[in-house]
Amino acid sequence: MIEVKNVVKTYGKKENLFTALDNVSFEIPAGKSVAIVGKSGSGKSTLMHIMSGLDHPTSGQVVINDQNIFELSQRKIDDFRAREMSFIFQSFFVEGNETCFDNVSLPLEIAGVKPAERKRRVEAALQAVELGDKVKQKARNLSGGQKQRLAVARAIAASPKILFADEPTGNLDSATGEVIENLLFGYNRDQGVTLIVVTHDEDLASKCDIQISIKDGKIMSVKGDK
Amino acid sequence: MRFIDIVQRAGRSLRQAKARTLLTSLAIGVGAFTIVLSLALGAGGRQYASDIIAANTDEREIYVQAKQEMNTDPSAPREYTDSPSLDYGGGVSLKLLNQDNIEELTDIKGVEAVAPFYNLTIKYVTAEKAKKYTVGVETYNDMIALEYVAGGADDVKPGSLVIPDSLRKALGFKTAKSAIGEPITIVIDQIDRATFTNKEVRFEYTIAAVNKQSSMAIADGTGFIRVHRQDAEELHEAINEGSPNESAYMGAVVTVADKSEAEAVKDRINKAGDYDAQTAEDAMSFLFQFINVLQGILIGFGALAVLTSVFGIINTQYISVLERTSQIGLMKALGMRRRDVGRLFKLEAAWIGFLGGALGAGLAVIAGTAGNPLISDALSLGESHLIIFELPSIVIVILGLTLVSVTAGILPARKASKLDPIEALRTE
Repeated sequence: MIEVKNVVKTYGKKENLFTALDNVSFEIPAGKSVAIVGKSGSGKSTLMHIMSGLDHPTSGQVVINDQNIFELSQRKIDDFRAREMSFIFQSFFVEGNETCFDNVSLPLEIAGVKPAERKRRVEAALQAVELGDKVKQKARNLSGGQKQRLAVARAIAASPKILFADEPTGNLDSATGEVIENLLFGYNRDQGVTLIVVTHDEDLASKCDIQISIKDGKIMSVKGDK
Repeated sequence: MRFIDIVQRAGRSLRQAKARTLLTSLAIGVGAFTIVLSLALGAGGRQYASDIIAANTDEREIYVQAKQEMNTDPSAPREYTDSPSLDYGGGVSLKLLNQDNIEELTDIKGVEAVAPFYNLTIKYVTAEKAKKYTVGVETYNDMIALEYVAGGADDVKPGSLVIPDSLRKALGFKTAKSAIGEPITIVIDQIDRATFTNKEVRFEYTIAAVNKQSSMAIADGTGFIRVHRQDAEELHEAINEGSPNESAYMGAVVTVADKSEAEAVKDRINKAGDYDAQTAEDAMSFLFQFINVLQGILIGFGALAVLTSVFGIINTQYISVLERTSQIGLMKALGMRRRDVGRLFKLEAAWIGFLGGALGAGLAVIAGTAGNPLISDALSLGESHLIIFELPSIVIVILGLTLVSVTAGILPARKASKLDPIEALRTE
């Protein structure tokens, strides 16, 4: 359960004051898939950053499993993120010079998982995205779709409870994009992971359980929430 | 994040930028090369110097001279003293030791024996059917190691002496072995008091041993004939009889009973009267001083190279942080702690330093090992080597440079750890 309560985020001061998020509140039940929809500049990325503890709100709370994460120290937030969350980005952010194995291994190393266990989980994650034959390949030799599949493997390797995906299909053609969508929704369904997709793609958004549309930092509508 | 995983990740990042890593470490390698080589040169030089000292001096010996007049104002007349002196004219004179001084020195606690410096200026030396040769004569000292071609230290007794191999050849002895036991004649000039003319006095000896020029000898040239102490005294008396230098000596060699007491005995001698005493170590300390100064200069150059490479490391690491902005952002988004991000970059710097140190030290060892025989040949040092590598000092240099590199990596690492992940992950 993620509760966003009265979150305000402003930049600048006085006459230059810019409100990126204006008193945003909603709830996401655990295990649901959620789309945060909005045009660029609507504040949807900022909302994702605040929900994941990467950014701090000017005021308001993000309560995850009854814990307001901004009451924690930065170190605790980092540890929390390493344990509970993961990310997929529009531009993949895979390390081209490293092997697929080392790319997927990174979040496990950060979480302090021991090498033997790490190996098992990395290989399982690569298997799950059908890159099991590319373990030793350098990531730069992969196609765009394969790179995003590698990013998905990296995101699921540490078995997060919440998976953030920022325009996960934005850089992909529709066919490969669909593969990624299927992977994400499949994982959401099978593992009971909360999936939060930030997108301006209405098609992708319509596949989620809940659609939260945002405009100029304000929630316009929350659909599908019962 | 486990420390070992950070170390491995740091190593991997460096391998991905091989050329840059290598070039940056080469800079620190130059410093390591210079420092390791100068430490080895210093160690070798000191070893060589103490070999020389062992070969040329006896650690139990203290050299004593009369304390010279400090007031050397040539325009003022000097007070007369009863002690003997050598006058060189122009108001320059050298005070000598007399027989009373020698006796006084003998009575000092810890002194085993006192041997005056004998004036052994001979006229010439010759052998049967040989030409006459002029050569230096000194007192034989069994504490000074000689390299013998024939005979040995045990053969030197009153009436016999050691000659250098070059003189053996000149005197016409075919081999060193054949010279042993052969007669040899030393001829001196003696003042005849009645006529005030010089007369020749002949001294007959047998050859006890032949020595060759040692690679450790300080004095070069033909070498000396070495006569037994008793013979030296006899020669000295004969040469100086009737001259002002009769029973007066330029100095004396005091032998102490216990090597470790040399310094204490030296102080006692200096307190006992107008003496100027020097231990063998004092006399040879100029060698060590010279080596230390030289080594210091070389290490200074090495340190300069290291300082330069520090800026190289800072620069490289800054560029690395800029290049890997998105990687750092990702690591932070995935929950990597600030401290661990900083550590990653500090450890990369450590790897660079370690690599450079090991590279430079390795090259220094190779160069030194290859160069040693060449240097020994060129300077005719014989078997001794001027470059001695000591493993502990090499290890310390490498560790030290690793530490210096970590220090150099602090600023870039701080920049990396403070990077805002949101900024870093912006896709535009």
